[in-house]
Amino acid sequence: MKRLRQFAYSEPATLDEAVAALASGGEDARVLAGGTDLIVDMKTERLPTSAVVNIKKIPGLTGIDDLGEATRIGALTKVTAIEGSQLVQQRHPALVDAASVLASPPVRALATIGGNVGRASPASDLGPALIVSAASARIRGTMGEREELVEGLYVGPGQTSLTCSDIITDFIIPSPPVGFGSGHVKLGKRGGGTDIAMAGTSASVVIEDGVVRDCKIALASLGPIPFRAPTAEAALSGQAPTEETLGAAAEAAAEDASPIGDVRASASYRATLARVLTLRALRAAVASSGGWVVA
Amino acid sequence: MTFRIDTTINGDRTVIDVDPTLTLLEVLREQLLLSGTKEGCGVGECGTCVVLCDGEPIASCLVLAGDAAGCSIETIEGLADSGELSDVQRAFVRTGALQCGFCTPAMVLTATALLREDAAPDAEEVKKALGGILCRCGAYPKILEAVLEVSGEGA
Ligand SMILES: Cc1cc2nc3c(=O)[nH]c(=O)nc-3n(C[C@H](O)[C@H](O)[C@H](O)COP(=O)(O)OP(=O)(O)OC[C@H]3O[C@@H](n4cnc5c(N)ncnc54)[C@H](O)[C@@H]3O)c2cc1C
Repeated sequence: MKRLRQFAYSEPATLDEAVAALASGGEDARVLAGGTDLIVDMKTERLPTSAVVNIKKIPGLTGIDDLGEATRIGALTKVTAIEGSQLVQQRHPALVDAASVLASPPVRALATIGGNVGRASPASDLGPALIVSAASARIRGTMGEREELVEGLYVGPGQTSLTCSDIITDFIIPSPPVGFGSGHVKLGKRGGGTDIAMAGTSASVVIEDGVVRDCKIALASLGPIPFRAPTAEAALSGQAPTEETLGAAAEAAAEDASPIGDVRASASYRATLARVLTLRALRAAVASSGGWVVA
Repeated sequence: MTFRIDTTINGDRTVIDVDPTLTLLEVLREQLLLSGTKEGCGVGECGTCVVLCDGEPIASCLVLAGDAAGCSIETIEGLADSGELSDVQRAFVRTGALQCGFCTPAMVLTATALLREDAAPDAEEVKKALGGILCRCGAYPKILEAVLEVSGEGA
């Protein structure tokens, strides 16, 4: 493998220094978190990179905290830490499902949640799980701090709405109501989720009095970005969760998907996966809501 | 430009000046001449470059040299430091758990890390832990056998 091209390297000690380093580094300055996407993108020259700003020396960007009405996950939190978090498992099982199938152990031990969103891969595992959990990202940039829904950050394949001096500092996920459940399912070519998804889906439901009051479905590797499946969500909302209604929503998800064919899977196979994986994610969401146990 | 890092490699404190555009893998192999760690794909897919960082297997081809600062890195050379093979290494030899040997350092280190966490992993747990490392010779059954031999479960 060829070496990385030369770049300026810095390890700022504070967020302000990091934002300043990014702002002065210009368009090709990049944040380095776990490096499992950035180093690959630099080696393959997908991303021209003049400066690497390693944010791992900045204190306060890791950890999972219970804020009562919300859960905070620091941007530098490792995927393995999310996988092992009791709190996240209780509140947002889809995120733990997604973390546990993201890449292989030696990659997962480096990968961070902030980097997963920053890379904006259409095949992201954490992206759809964050979307169905209604997560927002807190962002620090030259204009100060702001908060945006993760769902709104995705602009195109590999592209977010972040400017080149923006840094995601943490994710805020509202605590779910009673009757909430969620799940994430993906299919990759190598077993056990050791590689990028051919397709992936996350689902969340709120079940009240035996009826799905709220439903979110998000798809990965089934369009240019991780995105919501509105027709599928509408199909299930207001219905009692049965194999039949979940199946109808899963059918609708295949309509919402706009898959392409590539080295991993053909477009038609992906359309089938959209249906099958949505059904599985919905079953997992309903089961974890405690409202209905899958036979 | 060089960058000074203070790190521990195979138990020895190591203070070195590194080119910050090099990966940990390149520093280990080319600067420290620890060539037991192999480069396969260079992009995290194959796992042959695994070293242990604070006890955890990581893909060293994706880590910049600067990130080794403050860590305790173990490479395959560290396992038989005293001149005597470790239990896992002996099991690999006894079982013949390799053909070309290219993935062996990563397999041995990953199995070692697993067995430190859990003295008796079962076959599924071993497969899961080793899942990130490709063996192009297909020696997987023997590798599994070797690790299970050391595991209390395999006995
Ligand atoms: C072999 C292999 C298999 C993989 N399999 C999967 C998989 O199955 N599922 C999956 O979802 N991903 C997978 N990935 C991709 C990758 O591991 C994840 O996306 C990971 O979460 C990226 O995090 P990181 O910390 O390594 O990001 P980095 O590489 O450090 O950064 C990624 C991008 O985000 C930007 N960035 C990082 N942190 C921030 C921040 N805090 N604020 C703003 N921008 C930021 C960087 O500038 C860069 O552009 C795989 C990668 C490899 C190499």
